[in-house]
Amino acid sequence: MNRERGFTLLETVFALAIFGILIFILTVMTAEMRGNDKRYPLNYMRHPQVSSVLSRMRRDVLDATQGPMYPVSAGPYTQTKETLIIYVMQPSGFAETVVWDFSVEGTATRKTFNVGAQVSEWTARGLPSKLTLDIFEIPDRPYGVRLLARDKAGQLAIDQIFQPRAH
Amino acid sequence: MRRQKGFSLVELLFALLVLTIVITTSLAVFVERTRRLRQASELILVTQALANEAEIVRRIDFTPLDGLDDQFDTDLSILDPLRPFTTKVEVTLLRAGVKSVTMSVRWGKDRESKLTLLRTDTGGTNLW
Repeated sequence: MNRERGFTLLETVFALAIFGILIFILTVMTAEMRGNDKRYPLNYMRHPQVSSVLSRMRRDVLDATQGPMYPVSAGPYTQTKETLIIYVMQPSGFAETVVWDFSVEGTATRKTFNVGAQVSEWTARGLPSKLTLDIFEIPDRPYGVRLLARDKAGQLAIDQIFQPRAH
Repeated sequence: MRRQKGFSLVELLFALLVLTIVITTSLAVFVERTRRLRQASELILVTQALANEAEIVRRIDFTPLDGLDDQFDTDLSILDPLRPFTTKVEVTLLRAGVKSVTMSVRWGKDRESKLTLLRTDTGGTNLW
């Protein structure tokens, strides 16, 4: 008796075609999912450097103290929409001037100055987009700082107000 | 006798069933993932709006709290993707010298996020 073994060419091609369609569907869905990910602000906030910048800057503004609170200049820096200069009270009881510089795309640099001399520098790299600054005013209270950032689609992803506390 | 070999109807149906389960499960996973991602993103936007409003509420003196507008006072551009949405500010006197301020945002079919601050009367001391 002639006993056939294995699959015919037609059967193999058919099975591969179905498998190919399945892979194609999954690939398209994965690509779409990745596209969606980039559109959501969640993706922006998930960036570890963004969280670091937000928390450190919140702390600085919270600890801002009169001296004046927002000096006009520090070292080579002046107050702009991309540069924030704050006079910050340290846990040691001494104050120092902190400069936040967002002028370079994708980076945020924090420098501290003491009596005009730079003391430290910390830079966050790889930020999804440029951060910008604005002032926030509550009547009879010191000015606050509003930090803004838009994602690649132009949608506001960060809009946070930081307000100095009483000392 | 020549015996023809091939798949039986039961085998074919079983294979189709397995394929359908795989495709359906994958689709369900992707849809659910996208839905949760969207919800988390919305929550991030709303949380920022609530926190910004709280910055104002925290710094208003105790007595004028009663005169607070029942809508948010801050710029709500960050909530644009959630339109239409509604905001609400509710001030309640819990007991003498203690008020609660509840800020809420409602959007979508039934989504709502709230933030409540407790304020105490410090007798005029400025605690901003």
